[in-house]
Amino acid sequence: MRWSAAAKTLTADACVIGAGAGGAVLAAELAEGGMRVVLLEQGPEHDPDSFSARPSEMLGTLYRDGGQTLTLGNPPIALPLGHGLGGTTVVNSGTCFRTPDHVLELWRRSYGIDVDAETMRPYFERVEQALSVSEVTPELAGGNAAVARRGAERLGWSHGYLRRNAKGCVGSGVCVFGCPTSAKQHTGITYIPRARAAGAEVLTGAVLRRILVRRRRAAGVEASLRSGGALHVRAPVVALAAGAIGTPGLLARSGLGGASGQLGGNLSLHPATAAVALMDHVVNMARGVPQSFYIDEFITEGMIFEGVAGPPAYVAMSLPLSGRRHAEVMSAYPRLAQFGLMVSDSSRGSVRSLAGRPVIFYSLGDADAAKFRTGLARLEQLFRAAGAREVFLPLRSGVTPERAEVRDLKLMAFHPLGTARAHARASQGVIDGNLQVHGTGGVFVADGSSVPSAIGVNPQLTIMALATRLADTLLGAGVPTGPVPPAAHLSMH
Amino acid sequence: MSSPFDVLIDRAPRWRRPGMRLLFALVLRPRGAAIIARLAPLDQALAGLLALVRYDDPVQARALGWDADAVVDRGRVLRRAAGGR
Repeated sequence: MRWSAAAKTLTADACVIGAGAGGAVLAAELAEGGMRVVLLEQGPEHDPDSFSARPSEMLGTLYRDGGQTLTLGNPPIALPLGHGLGGTTVVNSGTCFRTPDHVLELWRRSYGIDVDAETMRPYFERVEQALSVSEVTPELAGGNAAVARRGAERLGWSHGYLRRNAKGCVGSGVCVFGCPTSAKQHTGITYIPRARAAGAEVLTGAVLRRILVRRRRAAGVEASLRSGGALHVRAPVVALAAGAIGTPGLLARSGLGGASGQLGGNLSLHPATAAVALMDHVVNMARGVPQSFYIDEFITEGMIFEGVAGPPAYVAMSLPLSGRRHAEVMSAYPRLAQFGLMVSDSSRGSVRSLAGRPVIFYSLGDADAAKFRTGLARLEQLFRAAGAREVFLPLRSGVTPERAEVRDLKLMAFHPLGTARAHARASQGVIDGNLQVHGTGGVFVADGSSVPSAIGVNPQLTIMALATRLADTLLGAGVPTGPVPPAAHLSMH
Repeated sequence: MSSPFDVLIDRAPRWRRPGMRLLFALVLRPRGAAIIARLAPLDQALAGLLALVRYDDPVQARALGWDADAVVDRGRVLRRAAGGR
């Protein structure tokens, strides 16, 4: 590819912003469908040889803001987000759930989005095939899952092994810090190579400045490159996939999506916490798949339990003790087990821009706080049933689950959704049911911000399936297609 | 060579770095730690980061049965055997 020294301009059929769960899938599908695609990613391309299996190093390398993204509100909540090619799929646990049927029904009924289990099924199947999704075996699940399984069986709670996007996994135990075997099939090693092979131009270190619109239709984007200089991409289709935290600001900066007043609002998180138990036997939670087992007995109440585990540093960070007691319990690390609680929230927050950076506002509402009180009591019950000697709940010393106030909860959150939500009516949503920005042709959203409600399970498959559906729509809508040799895909000006 | 604290501070949002430097300097001193302990959310966040760095030390981790280098070496061998980078 040649660059003009004066003006770096590319011409494409589609420009995709962000290379995570949504953007990578959309770029690959469009490129394989014959479109000329430019994919811009703000972060770097990660070299698996640099993965050290050391949490403190990998937080700084693989996560946005060194893994220190926090919400403002009560309580402050850590919201870890990935960056770079693959986005958060590089650092998630690999758990794969399809969107629950009742959620799709809600979207059809309340948001006017034309989806149901049957119409989405081929998209889920296509994504699952691409990511080698399969159920974790009990052997690979490891000792930590065995503890939870024992407790669930004794209590008669519904449970199972999770489905994950992994191939050749040996249970290294560091999914969230960069898989050293590249067993986890994140989009950086699945869809991105496919996109490149189909001729897509993938640029890292590219920071979007604004989307260009002429006569209420997409005309392209302006970006700057960290390596220096500006970039202009001419394209009649622009798809934003910068995530639920990044996308609203990029739309707002371009003067798009704001008419409904919904842009940046409706932020749903998947607030979570975890308990640690001291067992009488060796668990060795660093061996096996950290998130391999789930308990869905209470999913209709808006809570799901999923495994969490990791090396000593990971557990030490979340162990709710201090000083000498913390050190004593950590010395028994081989006998520690850990399990997580995730709440499908009804609380809603927002993302606003301050000096060009996203600021996240979110406070936990009473209904969700009640779910945490109940859920923590059940986590303790689970570990006791499994034979735990001691259970350490993520609460201030002396506070019991029943008496916990919101400020007493030590929470993390994952899976931000909804900040550019889809709704058939322009007054209620930023984008329509086809994920196109209301009132602006050719600008689409293909990430978690489009998802209109909390879904109660890990959302990567949902985001990827919606991106696949969007690609299908774009390729069938008469958008310019035709095979172009990879090297000639981009015209230079 | 940078300490793990320096790395964490460097990767934090720019506007937060001076505050983090100050807080880490405080929390590593008994009197400072006592002040911070009165501010529950701050105490939790800093205690978590301190524990993260402490137990990521290879000597400390190996004593508890975790050898990050061995995990990485095994992963690299398997990755190459599978035809990956």
